[in-house]
Amino acid sequence: MIADLEEIKGVTLETIYETSEGKLILTCIQCGTCVGTCPHGEYMKYPPRRIIEMLLHGLADKVSDTDSMLKCVNCYACMAKCPRGIHLTEVLLQLIKEQTILKLPTLPAELQKALENSYRYGNPMGESGRKRANWVATSKYPVRILSQNPGPVDVLWFVESYPAYYPRGQDTCRAIAKIFNRLEIDFAILGNEERSAGECGLLAWETGLAEALIDYNISILGKYTFNKIVTSDPHALDAFNYRYRMYGFKKPVYHIIPFLMPYYDKLKSMLTRPLNYSVTYHDSCCLGRHNGFFDEPRALLNAIPGIKLVEMFHHRINSICCGGGGGGMWLDTYFKSQNMERLSDIRIREAIATGADILAVGCPYEIPRFEDALKVAGYENKMVVKDIVELLSESMED
Amino acid sequence: MTNQGNNKDIRIGFYICHCGTNIASTVDVQKVVEFASKLPKVVVSRDYKYMCSDPGQELIQKDIKELGLNRIVVAACSPFLHEKTFRNASSQAGLNQFYFQMVNTREQNSWVHLDPYASTEKAIDLVRAAIYRVVYHKPLEQKRVPIHPDVLVVGGGIAGIHAALTLANAGKKVYLVEREPSIGGHMAMFDKTFPTLDCAACILTPKMTAVKNHPNITLWTYSEVIGVDGYVGNFKVKVRRKPRYINEDLCIGCLDCIEACVYKEGRFYDEFNLGLSKRKPVYIPFPQAVPLLVVIDPETCIQFKSGKCKQTCVEVCEPNAIDFTQKERIEEIEVGTIIIATGFQTFDPKKIPYYGYGTYPNVYTALEVERLINASGPTQGQIVLRDGTRPKSIAIIHCVGSRDKNTNQWCSRVCCLYSIKLAHLLKERTEAEIYNFYIDIRTPGKMMDEFFIRMKEEGIKFIRGRVADIYPDTSNGCCGKLVVKAEDTLVGEIIKVPVDMVVLSIGLEPRADAQEIRRMFNITCSTEGFYIERHPKLAPVNTFTDGIFLAGCCQGPKDIPDTVAQAGAAAAEALTLIDTGYIEIEPNTAFVLEDDCSGCKSCIPLCPYTAISFLEDKKKAFINEVLCKGCGTCVAACPSGSIVQNLFEDEEIFSEIVGVLNYTYHEEEV
Ligand SMILES: Cc1cc2nc3c(=O)[nH]c(=O)nc-3n(C[C@H](O)[C@H](O)[C@H](O)COP(=O)(O)OP(=O)(O)OC[C@H]3O[C@@H](n4cnc5c(N)ncnc54)[C@H](O)[C@@H]3O)c2cc1C
Ligand code: SF4
Ligand code: SF4
Repeated sequence: MIADLEEIKGVTLETIYETSEGKLILTCIQCGTCVGTCPHGEYMKYPPRRIIEMLLHGLADKVSDTDSMLKCVNCYACMAKCPRGIHLTEVLLQLIKEQTILKLPTLPAELQKALENSYRYGNPMGESGRKRANWVATSKYPVRILSQNPGPVDVLWFVESYPAYYPRGQDTCRAIAKIFNRLEIDFAILGNEERSAGECGLLAWETGLAEALIDYNISILGKYTFNKIVTSDPHALDAFNYRYRMYGFKKPVYHIIPFLMPYYDKLKSMLTRPLNYSVTYHDSCCLGRHNGFFDEPRALLNAIPGIKLVEMFHHRINSICCGGGGGGMWLDTYFKSQNMERLSDIRIREAIATGADILAVGCPYEIPRFEDALKVAGYENKMVVKDIVELLSESMED
Repeated sequence: MTNQGNNKDIRIGFYICHCGTNIASTVDVQKVVEFASKLPKVVVSRDYKYMCSDPGQELIQKDIKELGLNRIVVAACSPFLHEKTFRNASSQAGLNQFYFQMVNTREQNSWVHLDPYASTEKAIDLVRAAIYRVVYHKPLEQKRVPIHPDVLVVGGGIAGIHAALTLANAGKKVYLVEREPSIGGHMAMFDKTFPTLDCAACILTPKMTAVKNHPNITLWTYSEVIGVDGYVGNFKVKVRRKPRYINEDLCIGCLDCIEACVYKEGRFYDEFNLGLSKRKPVYIPFPQAVPLLVVIDPETCIQFKSGKCKQTCVEVCEPNAIDFTQKERIEEIEVGTIIIATGFQTFDPKKIPYYGYGTYPNVYTALEVERLINASGPTQGQIVLRDGTRPKSIAIIHCVGSRDKNTNQWCSRVCCLYSIKLAHLLKERTEAEIYNFYIDIRTPGKMMDEFFIRMKEEGIKFIRGRVADIYPDTSNGCCGKLVVKAEDTLVGEIIKVPVDMVVLSIGLEPRADAQEIRRMFNITCSTEGFYIERHPKLAPVNTFTDGIFLAGCCQGPKDIPDTVAQAGAAAAEALTLIDTGYIEIEPNTAFVLEDDCSGCKSCIPLCPYTAISFLEDKKKAFINEVLCKGCGTCVAACPSGSIVQNLFEDEEIFSEIVGVLNYTYHEEEV
């Protein structure tokens, strides 16, 4: 379902029909599946189906006069189910979003700040770049930092901002450091030299910011010799695999979960501490629907002794977005002002309904979003949100 | 008799067809005419709007007579379409028909090229090749092969049944081979049929019985074709007949054995009811089954599994028909024509996980609902859910596994109508609120749209939007309902409809073994797996293999009226061949120049049709003209060059090659 990168590079709404991806739009049968599945469809004046019809009638301007596409959380649900295989999330909606943002008199403040911060400090929170690698000191296992020790390395672990700064994110970093060490993987991080990779959606419609981050990271990465990049952030995965590639970046990039699969047997033999939890897994949009990794996270969870996996109603291709993608991470206040229910609140109700002790995730956005949703639901003492890597590390006796 | 000439005396007539604008809008026909007129031995060179029309053919005939032509070349459409027409025209004017040669200027030229200059050049090259070649043509006679009058029909759904009866009523002997224990196919599973809502059993059962009782029909159920050899008129077919473990000649269909089985209740998946009920190891598929013969399933029968059953069935069977030692039998038959009527299978909705089939028990396929509605089905026609309750609201989801790039791309053609039918039947029996979720309502055909409008009048709700999600309703501690979520695209609202039952209108797709069957019968199928007809409009039941015909849904999704019409047409095509009594075959066979043959036998194992034998007395190879298909393998393989093939003799091919290659590139004209 992935668009041909070379083809869509530099495409605009005017030139969209010149690509084979764009021509697919002409085949839309107006069935409304995209709208019916869109988690924010009810709040959009122009949801995807109508956008297509407007575009076909030369009325796309009217669409970008509204905030409809600001509400798209890049969850790939419409694209995954479209019976015509139209590359909605990847191509068309991004172009409309770009126009929408350009026309907005003012960007919602929270989003504005996150963009500025990413530009200025290399992370959306506005933390100091010099503190990015501070967590390393708290790791029981050694983590090599390339600027201090620049020799060739097999795996360059791209930590990303949420894991690097956010306290619960740092828990996942320590877990990964442990897993890498125990599996004897030759790895290193960029440390303070790293800046946010950006996320696929944001980069698509914020060309200025995109180019700044991409230029910076590509040049830093160019300093070192490594074979592949591994990251725990599916948004960074997509940024590298879709956006960076358009700027000539060639190295293979993996998300940590599929990356661990070839080590499955070795890893499983180390998972000796039983975790007697009932666990439900939330498929992240980028990892699942966009990249098709549905079995791998479940296989890793099932490798942990004692864990009982239960599914939510909506899972795998039908998972519901946590609301964090496409800039949604920084639009909660705006959405609230529009009387929209938070997607993480909707999603957490399904997780709670499973009766599981743990909500397992594979994306760093999801920990803070779901922890907050649990508080809102008054359920924070009954369910815990954990990244899969945390659970793996917990089950690995030291 | 016109002068048919030797090489010195060759008089060629060349004609190019405009085909309306099909050819003439791309190829500069005047230029080709002018060019051909200058080639050696060409006496006349003309163009005409429609060469295949009567005046077109008469033009050729007049020239043959008046100008003494003895070779004809026509540049027009594909030989597949009109070679026969022009050969006939030539022979009616007294010329041997093989003095004719055709140039494909439409399918392989004007239809596939955009550049008029280049297409004209291509036409010129091919015309030159044909004109050079035709000089060497020889007069040949077509051979006749007799047609075996018996017919094989594969598949006993409504298509196979109708075709078999039509042929049998015309006095032909028919073998009807059906894989399942009973004939009837999908139609036997339905209660009523759209658009007339007549009872399926009432119209089908008499035909099924007629098949069984017809003296001209040999019915082999629980059987499969496993091998096909030969060619039109003379097929040799092997059929595997699976053991039922019942002696068919003795069983009287009393069904006492089923009653007597040590299993007091059905325990195993009932195939005919799609698992909605259970059957015993000894069973009949359904009460109206034809033949009404019991089957013992060795997978579940205790006697087969452990050898230690009390065999209460055997005790009770008076005619002593139960035979645990029965083995499969292979029958070999000879037939002249074959009708393939293997039907379709329904789409597996588990491939669309967000519709919840297999996860939520109240999500059913339309075929399951057909069984529920059927008076002899698992619930005797009562519409009850798996928990025994009666649904008060039902959603019917159209296009499940149709019109979808992620599953099957085609429209399954009958789902709109059967969904409307099911809506009516469900409403009639449950008084439930019925919602049909559709993308487009497609009701072509006689009485079909009228049927749709009538159902609208009955108050069935139609919502235009493809369902995006189905999930359990958890609002306020609710109640086992399922929420069906879609955009009502005509209103522009997202709606969530809680219902008790969901019916998935699954599409029709080729059978899983379509590729194997295609290979066995040497016919073609499209990438998706439906068998391809010879011409979509003009030869809809023929295949590219002579003597093999198609009927019903194996060729593409269709309803019962169209299936029956096609089955009748297939029977008529078979009859035409049988009653002609013979077919003429292309004389493009190979023959051995005995004087040159060294008797090395290299050719013998190479022939795919085992047409070559060795004459021990003469120590020479010999090719049986009747078996030779003209593939040319032996011609190319013979080390001494002593095999020649009619219509493909060396000088014909070489002069054709010279003709194609002898081009000049007019750069200045580009
Ligand atoms: C849910 C549903 C409802 C429908 N309702 C209607 C309706 O109301 N009205 C209407 O007009 N149409 C209806 N249709 C369409 C109808 O089912 C078809 O038009 C019809 O069944 C086609 O008949 P057939 O003989 O081509 O195929 P089938 O009915 O599929 O019969 C094919 C037969 O061939 C046998 N077979 C397959 N492979 C082999 C093999 N290799 N060797 C030997 N035997 C083989 C099969 O066992 C089967 O008996 C409906 C379809 C569906 C799915
Ligand atoms: S799901 Fe696809 S085909 Fe259907 S309306 Fe949306 S874009 Fe068009
Ligand atoms: S990507 Fe998700 S949020 Fe965006 S339009 Fe599609 S379904 Fe809606």
